[in-house]
Amino acid sequence: MTPPPSAPASGSSGLSTRYRLRHATAYDYGEDVPISHHLLHLTARPHPRQRIRRSLLTIDPVPAVRTERVDYFGNTVTYVAVQEPHRTFSVIAESEVEVFDPPALAPGDSPSWEHVRDSLRGLAGPDDGAEITQYCFDSALVASSPELLDYVRGSFTPGRPAVAAAIDLMNRINREFAFDPTATTVATPLASVMRNRRGVCQDFAHIAVGCARAIGLPARYVSGYLRTLPPPGQPRLVGADVSHAWASVWCGATAGWLDICPTNACIANRDFITMAWGRDYDDVSPARGILLGGAGHGLTVSVDVEPLED
Amino acid sequence: MPPVPFTQGSLFGEADAIGYGSGQVYDEMVNGQGRLRPHWQTFMSSLGPLDSEQMAQRWEEARRLLHQNGVTYNIYGDPNGMERPWPLDMMPLLLPAHEWKAIESGLIQRASLLNAILTDIYGPQTLTRYGRLPPSVIHADPGFRRAVHGIRVPNDVHLHFYAVDLARAPDGRWWVLSDRTQAPSGSGYALENRAVIAKVLPDSFRHCQVERLSGFFDTFKDTLFSIAPRTSAAGRLPRVVLLTPGPYNETYFEHVYLARYLGLTLVEGADLTVRDRTVYLKTLSGLEQVDVILRRLDADFADPLEMRADSSLGVAGLIEAVRAGTVVMANALGSGLMESMAMKSSLPTLCRHLLGEELRLPGVASWWCGNDAERAYVIDHLDGLVIKPAFPSLSFEPIFGAQLSAAERSALTERIKRRPWYFVAQEQMALSTAPVWQDGRLQPRPLVLRVFLCATPSGGYAVMPGGLTRVSSESGRLVVSMQSGGGSKDTWILAPRRADVASGQPRPSALAMEPTASGARPSANDLPSRVADGLYWLGRYAERAEGALRLLRATQSRLIDSNMPGATLQQRPLLDLLGSLGMIPAELARVTESGTSRGLRDALHAAVTDPDHPNSLRAQVLRLHRTAYSVRDRLSMDMWRVVSAIDRQTQQPKGRMDAASLLLRLDDAMIMLAAFSGLEQDSMTRGAGWRFLDIGRRIERSLHMVALMRGVHVADLDRQDEPMQAATLSVLLELGESVMTYRARHLTSVLRTPVLDLLLGEEANPRALAFQLAALDRHMRALPSQGVGTGTDPTGGALAIVAAARNSLERTDAMASSEALRTLLDTLAMTLPDVSNFLAHAYFSHAFARSA
Repeated sequence: MTPPPSAPASGSSGLSTRYRLRHATAYDYGEDVPISHHLLHLTARPHPRQRIRRSLLTIDPVPAVRTERVDYFGNTVTYVAVQEPHRTFSVIAESEVEVFDPPALAPGDSPSWEHVRDSLRGLAGPDDGAEITQYCFDSALVASSPELLDYVRGSFTPGRPAVAAAIDLMNRINREFAFDPTATTVATPLASVMRNRRGVCQDFAHIAVGCARAIGLPARYVSGYLRTLPPPGQPRLVGADVSHAWASVWCGATAGWLDICPTNACIANRDFITMAWGRDYDDVSPARGILLGGAGHGLTVSVDVEPLED
Repeated sequence: MPPVPFTQGSLFGEADAIGYGSGQVYDEMVNGQGRLRPHWQTFMSSLGPLDSEQMAQRWEEARRLLHQNGVTYNIYGDPNGMERPWPLDMMPLLLPAHEWKAIESGLIQRASLLNAILTDIYGPQTLTRYGRLPPSVIHADPGFRRAVHGIRVPNDVHLHFYAVDLARAPDGRWWVLSDRTQAPSGSGYALENRAVIAKVLPDSFRHCQVERLSGFFDTFKDTLFSIAPRTSAAGRLPRVVLLTPGPYNETYFEHVYLARYLGLTLVEGADLTVRDRTVYLKTLSGLEQVDVILRRLDADFADPLEMRADSSLGVAGLIEAVRAGTVVMANALGSGLMESMAMKSSLPTLCRHLLGEELRLPGVASWWCGNDAERAYVIDHLDGLVIKPAFPSLSFEPIFGAQLSAAERSALTERIKRRPWYFVAQEQMALSTAPVWQDGRLQPRPLVLRVFLCATPSGGYAVMPGGLTRVSSESGRLVVSMQSGGGSKDTWILAPRRADVASGQPRPSALAMEPTASGARPSANDLPSRVADGLYWLGRYAERAEGALRLLRATQSRLIDSNMPGATLQQRPLLDLLGSLGMIPAELARVTESGTSRGLRDALHAAVTDPDHPNSLRAQVLRLHRTAYSVRDRLSMDMWRVVSAIDRQTQQPKGRMDAASLLLRLDDAMIMLAAFSGLEQDSMTRGAGWRFLDIGRRIERSLHMVALMRGVHVADLDRQDEPMQAATLSVLLELGESVMTYRARHLTSVLRTPVLDLLLGEEANPRALAFQLAALDRHMRALPSQGVGTGTDPTGGALAIVAAARNSLERTDAMASSEALRTLLDTLAMTLPDVSNFLAHAYFSHAFARSA
């Protein structure tokens, strides 16, 4: 739920930033829970513009079972089971990641979005086209609707280059939707975000994803972090950062996946650290747990994105 | 009696002769010339003349059997409650051996094909990678389970149980309408249909040489035990459970039935837990490892951690256990993908590619709109097509193109174009018809035949020689569905030739009514805590119903016959009790003049039959019935029949019922409740399950006795005049079923001390409080010492209360004074309910999974 920062750091092509990341999640269950199972997306996934130098999960209490695998979308997932009575559960994910800027874009040069859409069919051959086209369809939290289609047509006008159209969509969502952390929860359906035009980064990412799919383009939901700059003259506050989310739209073989951040109206650059992607939040929620018993729970999350000086 | 030889031209030779007219379509019984098909001849001869009186008798018999066996089908959103009687037609569908052979071989091929496709999609995905299947077929389908992709299943068998819906076209060929690969239902109903029809038409069944069904289920059972990941080297049989979504599922009856028939433990998600990537059954005596899960739960609901987080029916961590290979799911999670209609048009190609064979059994022509060429065809030919959802998880009613207006057509076309992959079109098929006995004659009705297959231990597939035939409710209906009110038929596959049968190995005797518990029965200590809870409440509700019934009956009999000795005086304490137990409004209970006001009569009537009255007999019986339903797999068929009878006897009568017939009804229901209690004592094994049931009964009876004593203010009885005292005590004796005993000992005078001794303190009287407490003490000491709770001694608290109660009863001065008696009763009323709370905490406290 990153509020629009006063000024996202900018960068130019080929440059990179190294970060030390710390994401602490702590649950207080109120009373002893005999057993809990968790699914964690807290390890940064492989990414062409990212280099992971170190990655560590510290879990308390020490779980009886801990396994790691790669899911269908290529994300790293950790399964954890605590099997002794416990009242609290915490995960601290620490890593060091280097992120590179994307190559410079010439938005007008990309093929028209209709061309990108129509050439998807050709992708379904003896290659990994399915890896791209699988993001075309409705998912648990993002179902296409006539409202989304109406909205997206404002940006994806006939013949417009795909990249330019996607950037326009991003800017419109940024302008026309109000950032309002009180307006939605993870359970708020997309239709009501669309109706009320308010929400947080997760909602805006879902809107962008739903819009792209409504006109037939594959779109992914990306979860990660954003480097934020402290207000002028103040030191950076440790733990003040939060998880972030944005969308990634397929813009054809040359431009590839274009990561757009409607919350901040910018293309993801080396200020955006990617953790996982999927069809929507449901595929990549950072921590998901099922527990037996317990009397309600308090949740504390603190995220720290610290740029490292070379 | 040998079959009557059939001759052409006899009464049954021509359809016209029995008024059976078939239309343009293929009829299963008669050919185009209206003549009986050869394989129906033996059957029709053995059936004898179609005498409507006799048929009606048979039909009545069938209905009775179905009702007794509790065969039901739940209709979602049915205001009439959960259970709907199972509709079964008297006339079986007959299929000759040679025709069946072709179907069989086609289906076995199809099962192997679908399994091979699943193996590829959940594995290397070469089919989509090399263009043999559009990737969108799987990626657009919500039924594609990404979470289980890459998990190897033993011997690459994803599909262990599979059902196919078949229909016969006018040309006489069978076509596949749809595949059921998630958790196919219907096989248990087919078994039950067979059991009933074989009883109702015994001669026909014998003469027709019908293939038996039990061998198929034996094979399936062998398969289930053979796929267990651990061998029996550890010296024990694998534990196979049947996972049900629970009593609210439409086919819950079948889950219970199959679990019994196959000898599996019936479990709900809350009965299982995952530890160390292994599935365990939570039993009263601890955790028992589960090896194989036959699931009747859709994959979507199977694991709230990795699938739908809002599912309360599944087991958290189940998929991780499957991944670890410690448990095998049948069918494998994700198998529901093959129900996709989008894949059907690719099957002939895939069959050639994967099996190197031509597809033997054709599927009804279908076009998937996610494919450009197929979509174009659909849009051009809407008129002759039925539009259906491409994936089973998207549900909309089939749209018949021919019935659409121009505007509707173009709206549909738009919908299809916008999200093409969600639509499929099928050729509209004219279903064949079979005779149904209705309105006193045979009438042709369209049918769909569901056939079942199971994997065999050697890696192939076996077909059940029979099936579930479903017929539509009207002759012109194009949709056949149990949900929309159709009926069902038994399906007879006729054995090849008599000689083959005679020389073969002896066939199993007839199909038993009571499911055969072959092989390993669920072991004694596999009682899930949830079931213990259910049995406990079953005991309580049965006893509570009995208490209410005795009270109502005692009151009703005095109202009817005021000449009964003491009737007028005894009405007073009875009405007091009805009021204090909340069965009639308190102001009516306080009526002073004797006799029966209109208001009181109505209130008493409501106290018997009103289902919405929380303390009525009917409400108690409904609770009893519902609880019995939830533990049905633990009750004998007879116990279930008794519960059904009680349910029937306490239903609200259609018209008004006079007081005398109400009383008769109460008498009948009393006998049934007594029968239930007798079966508890006589036909249940003395395991933990029985103990919990009896604990429930004992606790309820204790509480009821204390409530009666307090309700008539027995401690203050000396304030009443002597006749009133005697009337009150007589009522207590009657409600405590101890009149005879008392009379035998004390002859005439009804005095407080001996009455209280008999009803409270006497351990030898099965109605006395002391008897209940002694039984509770015995039961609780015999329970498994370690409950699911973590407390030191789960029953300690309950035992202490019981011991204190027994002590106070044994004290000589316990009932000496009014004051002492009042204290005694107040203390009991306060402490005894905690026995229930302690037990619940120790044994039933299921912690339900929730997400965080």
